[in-house]
Parts: sequence; C-alpha cells; structure tokens
Amino acid sequence: MTRNTRLTLAMILVVILALLGLTAVNRNSGPRPTSGAGAEVDPAVLVREDSHRLSTAPDGKVTLVEFLDFECEACGAVYPAIKEILDTYQDRLTFVVRYFPIPSHPNAELAARAAQAAAEQGRFAEMYTVLFENQEAWGHQRTPQTETFVEYARTLGLDVDRFRRDLDDPAVAARVASDRADGETAGVQGTPTFFLNGRQLTEIRTQADMIAAIDAALAR
Amino acid sequence: MTATAERRGDTTAPAGFLARVTAWVLALGGGVGLLAAGTLTVEKINLLADADYVPTCSINPILSCGSVMTTPQAAAFGIPNPLLGIAGFAVVTTLGVLLLGGVRLPRWAWLGLQAGATFGVVFVHWLIYQSLYVISALCPYCMVVWVVTIAIFLYTTLRNLRELPSSSPLSRLAGLAGYHSVILVAWYVVILLAILVRFWDYWSTLG
Repeated sequence: MTRNTRLTLAMILVVILALLGLTAVNRNSGPRPTSGAGAEVDPAVLVREDSHRLSTAPDGKVTLVEFLDFECEACGAVYPAIKEILDTYQDRLTFVVRYFPIPSHPNAELAARAAQAAAEQGRFAEMYTVLFENQEAWGHQRTPQTETFVEYARTLGLDVDRFRRDLDDPAVAARVASDRADGETAGVQGTPTFFLNGRQLTEIRTQADMIAAIDAALAR
Repeated sequence: MTATAERRGDTTAPAGFLARVTAWVLALGGGVGLLAAGTLTVEKINLLADADYVPTCSINPILSCGSVMTTPQAAAFGIPNPLLGIAGFAVVTTLGVLLLGGVRLPRWAWLGLQAGATFGVVFVHWLIYQSLYVISALCPYCMVVWVVTIAIFLYTTLRNLRELPSSSPLSRLAGLAGYHSVILVAWYVVILLAILVRFWDYWSTLG
C-alpha cells in the first residue's frame, strides 16, 4: 500500500469514527443529563412561576411543556397541531411555552425577546401566534428583523415605544436565557422538545401520537 | 537539484498511474456531473411548467432543491447554472473518454481544461457558501456537482503541475500528486464538517 493510500484510508476511518462518536454522544446526552430516557424532570425546572401558559388546567393534572424556537421550521410545523390540541382540550390541559432559541437561527433570539417584550404588556399568546403564522416571512433572513417584529407589535395594539425599549432590555434577554438554561438542565437538545407531566416525549411523530399521549395522561 | 530528486522519489504514484486516474476521473466525473446537471435542468423545466411541482430531491427543509433552484444564485450568470453544467461536463466527459482511449491531448487542450476546471471549482465554492450560509438549504443534485467538480479540478491540476518544466516555481507543487487522494478526501471532509456544523441543530433534532 502506498503512503497516499494509507493516509487516505486513515483519514476516512478517523472521520467515520468521529461521526459515529458524535452521533453516540448526541443520542446519549439527549434525555440523559438529568436522567434516563423518559425519566421525570424536576417540575420546578420545566415550569417556573413566570413561565408563559397558553392554557391552564385548574386541576393541574396534565401539563405539557414545549421548548421552542420561533424560527425553527419543525416548531412552525407543529404549531397548527398545538393550536388544534389547545382548542380541543381547553382547560383540561396546561400548556407551557419555554424559549429555546437556537444560535444558528439568525433571528431566533430576537424573536424570543419580541415574544417576551409582548409578554411584558400581557400579550404573549398573541405574539406567539403572529410569529408562527408569519414564520415564512421573517424566518431565515440574514438581517435582524427588528422592524418586522415592531410592526407585529403595532398590529397587536401594543405600546410600540415600550416594546422597542423592552426588546433591548437586558432583563428581557436574561429572561429568554434563563428559559434556555432550564431547557439545557432538562436535557433539551433541539426544538421542539415536549415534556408531558415532566417526562420528555421522544416517540411523538404525529398529532395523533401527541393526542394519544395526552389522553393517556388524562386517563391515569 | 537533490531536493527535486527526493520529491520525485517521494511521489509514490507513478506518472502512468496518475494519468490513468485522471482520465477515469474526467470520464466518470464528467458523466456523473452531466447526469446531475441534466436532471436539474429537467426539474427546473418541470418547476417552470407547474409552480406547485415538488422536485424529486426536496426531501426535508434542509435537503431541498426546490428552495435552492428558485433563488437568484441558481442563475448566477443570467442563465440557469445547470445549462453551464451540461456544456462543461459534456466537454470534460469527451476529453476523459478520449484519454481512456489512449489519445494524447495537445497542451492547449489541457490548458483549456485547466481554465474551465478552475472556473468551475471557484464557482462551485461560491455556490457552497451561498447554499450553506445564505440560502440555508442543500440541494442533493447540486452536491453531486460539488463532488465531481472538485475531483475534476484536483486531478487536472495535479496532472498539469507534473508537466511543468522544473524551472517553473509551481513545479515544486508537483510532489502533491503523490498525495492525490489524501488531498481529495481532506477537501471533502472540510466541506462535510462545514455542513455538519452549519446544520447541527437540525440534524440533532432528527435524532
């Protein structure tokens, strides 16, 4: 074997091993940082006092938590399913939204701050809806979409000057960061990640799977 | 010129071997590139005929030709890129097949191929950059073109470097020919890593 062949094969081998290693690490570290797959995560980490609830069940029996990134396509894709689920279950389900902006999405962090700035004026749910319904318009743009978000705030009838101030307020950024930190503690690797009554849902592929999981929790 | 002698001695691939590999890379690489460019052209025509047409290579939000083919970058010189590919890869395939048949190409043909392959490889890297960091989607047929264009450029360049007179400063690079496949694989690995890093969040959400 020539030196060229040896080096080439060695390099290919190293890359394959590195990729296998990364995949394994990725698999294992998914649900594991706190505990094994499907194990319960401390409810205090998943739902904080100030976490945003899109619906609240008075009996507190079933709580669904979503860690999301407003710019991620997969989150945009599950948004209509979530909307339907909220319509169906209404006050039998507590649904909590946590921010988990992913750094490679250029406007994800800004979008999370926009949602938080709207929350400061009591309009989180509305901004959540507008951001997802218009994801295609502002998502995957290289430039900051600040003006687009301000326009959404205006449409929602928010105090625009206050919204702009809050958008740049370090406290708002810190609020988003603390959600993300909770997500990391809970073992969130990507978005969307759902927790049903403290357990990460790993086998959810369709809306029907989600409904089945919720029904099972309600029946328990 | 002992250094030159050593370098030549280091060059583990004999000239004949490299010439044969180059001929095969041109013939097969050109052929595969031609197929990919042809497929992209057909998909483009289907897309033009029916705006709702979903190209065969639109697999998920990241692996998607549809979103890539409709960008301005897909017609960088005013005509669709695949048309450039059909013309270019047809020539490369022809030259490769002739070489396999034992034809000795004149110097100007090699220089012309070098010019074309250099243009191609620069263009392809601009497209890689656009695809990863501006469009944020990968088009599988386009990636086939990236792969073959890099191989065609590398082997054409290595072959031409060896033909340079030893007085030329660039002839010092001829020793690289001994590591032809190392360079090729390293080149692919860099691009693979860039793709993995860029879309890591997406790959890991699939996991």
